[in-house]
Amino acid sequence: MPTIKINGRDLEYEPGETVIQVAHRNGIDVAHYCYHPSMSPEGNCRICMVEVEGWPKPVVSCKQLCGENMAVQTESELAQSARAGTMEMLLVNHPLDCPICDQAGECHLQEYSYELGHGESRSTTPKTHLPKNVPFGEEIVYDAERCIKCTLCVRFCNEITKTGELAMANRSDNEQVVMTSKGEFTTNYSMNIVDLCPVGALTSRDFRFKSRLWFMDFTPSLCTGCARGCNVTIGGRGGRFMRMEPRENQDVNQWWMCDPGRLGYGHVNSETRLATPAVRDANGQWQPATFEQAIVAASAALKDARESHDVLLDGGATLEELEAARALASAMGGQARFAAATGDDADEFLIVNEKGANAKGAEMLGLERQADAAPAAVLVVERDGNVPAALRDGAGAVVAFVTDATNVPDSVRVAFPYGSWAERSGLLVNVDGRVQELRAARQVGPGNLSPAFALMEELTGELDGNHVPRDRGELVAAVKNEKAFAEVAFPAGVAAGQTVGAGS
Amino acid sequence: MSATPPRAPAAAPKDVEARQPAPTPVAFPPAALKDECEAILSRYPTRQAALIPILLLAQGHYDNWVSPEVEAGVAEYIGVSDSHVRGVLSFYSMFNLKPAGKHEVWVCRTLTCWLRGAAKLRDTALEKAQAERAGVVGEDGKFLVKNMECLGLCEVAPAVFVDGVAHTNVTNEKLVELMDACE
Amino acid sequence: MAKKRYPETKILSKNFDKENSWTFDVARENGAYTMFEKALKEMTPDQVIEEVKTSRLRGRGGAGFPTGVKWSFVPKDVDKPKYLALNADESEPGTFKDRWLMELDPHMVLEGCLICAYATGLSTIYIYVRGEYPLSQERLWGAIREAEEKGFLGENIQGSGFSCNAYVHTGAGAYICGEETGLLESLEGKRGHPRIKPPFPAVEGAFGCPTVINNVETLAHVPWIIEHGGEAFAKQGIAPDPDNPRSNGSTGTKLFGVSGDIKTPGCWEFEFGITVKELLYDYAGGPLDGREIKAVIPGGLSMPVLTADELDVPMGFDDLVKVGSGLGTACAIVMDDTCCMVEASENIAHFFADESCGQCTPCREGCHWMEKIFKKFNANQGTRSDLDLLEGLFVNIEGRTICALADAAVWPLRSIIRKFRHEFVAKMTPEEQAAEKEAQAEKARETAGVS
Ligand SMILES: Cc1cc2nc3c(=O)[nH]c(=O)nc-3n(C[C@H](O)[C@H](O)[C@H](O)COP(=O)(O)O)c2cc1C
Ligand code: SF4
Ligand code: SF4
Ligand code: SF4
Ligand code: FES
Ligand code: FES
Repeated sequence: MPTIKINGRDLEYEPGETVIQVAHRNGIDVAHYCYHPSMSPEGNCRICMVEVEGWPKPVVSCKQLCGENMAVQTESELAQSARAGTMEMLLVNHPLDCPICDQAGECHLQEYSYELGHGESRSTTPKTHLPKNVPFGEEIVYDAERCIKCTLCVRFCNEITKTGELAMANRSDNEQVVMTSKGEFTTNYSMNIVDLCPVGALTSRDFRFKSRLWFMDFTPSLCTGCARGCNVTIGGRGGRFMRMEPRENQDVNQWWMCDPGRLGYGHVNSETRLATPAVRDANGQWQPATFEQAIVAASAALKDARESHDVLLDGGATLEELEAARALASAMGGQARFAAATGDDADEFLIVNEKGANAKGAEMLGLERQADAAPAAVLVVERDGNVPAALRDGAGAVVAFVTDATNVPDSVRVAFPYGSWAERSGLLVNVDGRVQELRAARQVGPGNLSPAFALMEELTGELDGNHVPRDRGELVAAVKNEKAFAEVAFPAGVAAGQTVGAGS
Repeated sequence: MSATPPRAPAAAPKDVEARQPAPTPVAFPPAALKDECEAILSRYPTRQAALIPILLLAQGHYDNWVSPEVEAGVAEYIGVSDSHVRGVLSFYSMFNLKPAGKHEVWVCRTLTCWLRGAAKLRDTALEKAQAERAGVVGEDGKFLVKNMECLGLCEVAPAVFVDGVAHTNVTNEKLVELMDACE
Repeated sequence: MAKKRYPETKILSKNFDKENSWTFDVARENGAYTMFEKALKEMTPDQVIEEVKTSRLRGRGGAGFPTGVKWSFVPKDVDKPKYLALNADESEPGTFKDRWLMELDPHMVLEGCLICAYATGLSTIYIYVRGEYPLSQERLWGAIREAEEKGFLGENIQGSGFSCNAYVHTGAGAYICGEETGLLESLEGKRGHPRIKPPFPAVEGAFGCPTVINNVETLAHVPWIIEHGGEAFAKQGIAPDPDNPRSNGSTGTKLFGVSGDIKTPGCWEFEFGITVKELLYDYAGGPLDGREIKAVIPGGLSMPVLTADELDVPMGFDDLVKVGSGLGTACAIVMDDTCCMVEASENIAHFFADESCGQCTPCREGCHWMEKIFKKFNANQGTRSDLDLLEGLFVNIEGRTICALADAAVWPLRSIIRKFRHEFVAKMTPEEQAAEKEAQAEKARETAGVS
C-alpha cells in the first residue's frame, strides 16, 4: 500500500483516501466542522487546514487526497495560523453567549476556540444579525446566528435520508439554512441533525434549555424502541431521563437513530412511576413493602394461584430476565411467554417492524410469542406498546413487575417496581441476532430498584427449595449454554460470575 | 396498536417563531408557459438544470416575483424540494421573493458607476419610489429599487435598468424622466 | 515631436463598425464559419489543438491559462457526453468586452465555440450569459437560429459527420457564477457555489462529464488562429520572457477597455504591448478636465491598483505581475483625484462581501469584516490598529478559500491601504492621527540618526 507522511509518521493509505481520514484512523487529531465521515466532503469551513511541505498554501485535509511523497504537517506554524485565522472568522459574527447556549459543553466551536483562539476578539465593528428562533418541524429550532454554515444538516437530508427538507439560502454573510415550506420533515431521522450540528445552531425542543450538560451523567446503552437496538448514550440528571443520542456502531446504526426512538422515553419520567414494592392488604388496599416482604407475599400469592402458572414478559425483557423467568415458570409448573408490538413503519434504514427489543432473544430461548389475552400468574411489563392493556388485564396475574403504578391490573396482589430500559442492565438480541448490552443509566429512574432477574431468582428459590438463586453471570452462562446461542458472539466482558455494566 | 414508541410531548418554548402554514402550489406550468418550459427542459440532461431559466420565466409571468406558491409549483414541476428552489432563488439577485411593485429599477452601485455618481442616482430613485431603502417596495407600491452590482455597462456609466431595459450615461434628470414615464 | 500612437489591430473587432454586424449575412460576407469549415474538412481535431497550443493563446477570462493545453486535458475515449460551457458571465466590474463581442459579432463567438467543439470532440455547447445581458442573449440566440438554418449547427454539419448543438443558458445575477465551477453548479440548476478542484472540469465538469470552460473572447480568437496559423498569432504581442522558462508571454491581440474617471471610456483592440498610460491617454482621452489620475486597476476590480506613477507598464500578463498587479480582464478602472480611496475601498469591499457565495468561512465573514472596518474609517472613527487588523485579515483570507474570489477581494484592498495610507490616516480619530504623526516623526528621526 502507498504511504503518506503525516507529522513525520509514514502511514498507509488506500488510493482515494483523504488526509483527514488517514490522520483520524491513526489517532492524529485534526480539527474539523464541516467534515463527517458519512457524507461527501465540502471543504467549506476551512478549519481542517494542514500544511503540505513544499506547497505554498495550506490545504483542507478533508478534501485533500493522499498522494505518494506528500509530507503533511498538522501542527506546523502555517497549519496553526491557518486554523486560528479561520477560528477568528468563525467567531466574528458568532453571538459568543456561551453561558446561555444549549450547546455549551459540547460545542466544537467553544472547544477549538479555547485551544486556538485569540482570547479576545480583534473585532471592533458590530456583528451581523440573523434570525434566531426558527422552527424546523416540530422538534427542532434553528438559530442562524450561531450557525457556521457547515451544511452538515443540509447534506444529511440530501445524502443520508434523501428527503431534501433543508437547503442553504441567501448568500454571503446572510447565508442561512431554510426548510421546505411544508414545514415538516418527512424523514423519521431529522433529529440527528441536532447531534451533527457542530455548534448550538440546531436545538431539540425536547431538550432545549432543560439542563446544562455538565450537570448530567452519560451512560452508553441501547435504544429499545424497536429491535434494531441502536447504540445510544443516555443522559440523566436527578432521576430524570434528559436525552438520548446515538453512539456510533457501524454494524448497527452507524451514527444515527430515529426520532420516535429518541423521544420514546415518556414513560421513564412518568409522574406515576412505581417506586417501591407494594402489597395488597386484607382490605385490598395497597401498602408499600420492603423487597423481602414483597418476595414472601409474592411466593404466597403464586402458591395460591390456580388459573395459570405462566409468566408473561415484555418483549423488551433482557436475556437475564428471560432466563430467570423461565426458571420461575418451571418452578410453578408453567411456561414463560412474551408479547411484543409489531409496527408497520419499517424503513430501509433503521426502524424495523419488530418492536420487541429482545423478541429475537426470547424466540431463541424458545419462548412463545403471545398475541391474544391469555392467563398468566406473573406479568413483566415495561411498555404499553408491547403488552397492551388487553393482554395485561386479561392475564389475571397475581404478581406484576411494572414500570408505572397505573399499569397494575386489579387482579395483582404484589407489585414490584420494574426499571425502564434506561434503568436496567442486561443483554438484548437485536433483529439481526447481534447480542448487545443494555446498561442502566446513571441518574435515571426512581433508584433503589432491585434487578428484576434477581427478584425472580429469589422468588423461584422461595417456590422451589432446591433452586439456588443465580447471579447475573450465572444467568448469562445458562443462556450461552442454550443450543440456539452456541454460535453467537457475546459482548466482551460479559462472562460468568462477572457483574457488568455501569449502574448495575 | 401504536406503531412507534410513545412520544414525550414536545414543549413549545414561547420564543420560537410561529410556523407558517404550507403554501398551496400553483399548477405549473400555466398554459402560456408550457411550450417554452418544455423547450427549456429538452436542452439539458437533467430536469434540475432547467430550474433557473424556468424560474426567470415564472417570475416574468407572475407579476415579477416568485411567491411561495409559485416556488412550490415550480419545485413540483422540476422534481426538486421547494427548499432547494428557495436556496436558488435567494442566491441570485435578479429574483424577487416578495411582491415587486409595478416597476423595477436597478441602479448599479459598483466602482465605475459609483465614480460616475451612482450614489446620487440611488438616492433619487429611492426618493421617487418613496422607499426607505433599496430592495423594498415604496409606499405606493409602484417601484422596487434595487442596488445592483456592475451591470457590464461601465463604458457608458452610470447605468440603470428600468423594467429590464438598460439606460446608460444616466443623469439625475434622466432618471427622474424615466421614472416619471412609468405608468 | 508627437509620439506615435500605439496602433489598433482589428481582428476580433473587425466587424464591430459594420451595419448589422450580428446577422449571418454580414458575418458570412466577412468570412464567418469558413475557418470552422476548414477545420472540419482539412484538419484533424489534434491538429486544431496543436495550432492553438502553438499560438500560446491564453485565457481571456482572467486567469490566463493556455487554452490549447486546457483542451488537451479533455479525455478522448470516454463514453460520457462532453460539454463546452462558454463563460459569458462577464460580471467582473469594469468589464464589458465580452458584451461587445456577443452583441456585435455573435457569429464569430459561435464559430470559435464550434472549432473548440470539433477539436475536443464534444457536441453540446452551453453559452452561460449573465442575466443582466438581455441583448447579448438575444443576439446569440439569433446567431444560433441562423447557424442552424444554414447548416452550421445541428446534425451532421456540412456533411462532415460532426454534430453539435448550442444553447444560451441564462444566469440570474451572481458574480460568482463567472468562476468556472460556480458556473457549472449554476448550469446544473443550483446555487453557484464553486467546487474544490481537482477534479478539474476538463475531466469532471457539468453533469459529471468532461467540460471545456472558456471565456468568450478566448474562443473568438480561434478562427483567426486557424486561418493564419498558431505561429502567426504567437508572433503578435509580447513574446515569452526568454529568462523565464514558465513564461507564456502575451501573444495575439486583446480587447482592452477603460472606464471610470476618464474622458472617453471605451473598448479597443491592440496587440499586447500597449502600456496602461498609452491606453489611458492616447485612446481613453486622459483625465477629465482639470483633474488628475490617481489610481488605476488595470483589469477589472480584482487586481492591485497602480498609482499614477506606475502606469508606464505594458498591459501584458507577466508584465503587470512584475509590477505587483495583474492583467485580469484588461478592462481598466480609473480613479482620479476627486475620488476618496477610503470610500472607494468601502465600495470595493462591499462588492466582494455582497458577491461572496458564502460557503467558505474566511470569505463569507472576512469580506464583510473588511467592509465594516472601511465603514468605520469613513465615519472618521478609524484607528491605526484597524489598519494592522486589515493586514492581518488579508493573511487569513488570501489563499485560504475554495475559489479566488476571496483573493480577488484582498488584492485591490491591500494595495490601496498600502499605497494610500495617508488617506486612511486622515479618516482616523484625532487622537489616532496625532499618534500616527508622532510615529512617523519618530521613524524619521530614527532614519536620520542612522544615516
Ligand atoms: C470570482 C471569479 C469570477 C470570474 N468571473 C469570470 C467571468 O465573468 N468571465 C470569465 O470568462 N471568467 C471568469 N473567471 C475566470 C474563470 O474561472 C475561468 O478561469 C475562465 O472562464 C476560463 O476561461 P479562459 O481560460 O478562456 O479564460 C472568474 C474567476 C473568478 C475566481
Ligand atoms: S445548522 Fe448546524 S449543521 Fe446546519 S449548517 Fe448550521 S452549523 Fe452546520
Ligand atoms: S430504529 Fe429502533 S432502536 Fe433505533 S432508535 Fe429507532 S426505535 Fe430505537
Ligand atoms: S472564496 Fe468566497 S466566493 Fe469563493 S467559494 Fe469561498 S465563499 Fe464562495
Ligand atoms: S472540515 Fe475540512 S473544511 Fe471543514
Ligand atoms: S460598474 Fe456599473 S455597470 Fe459596471
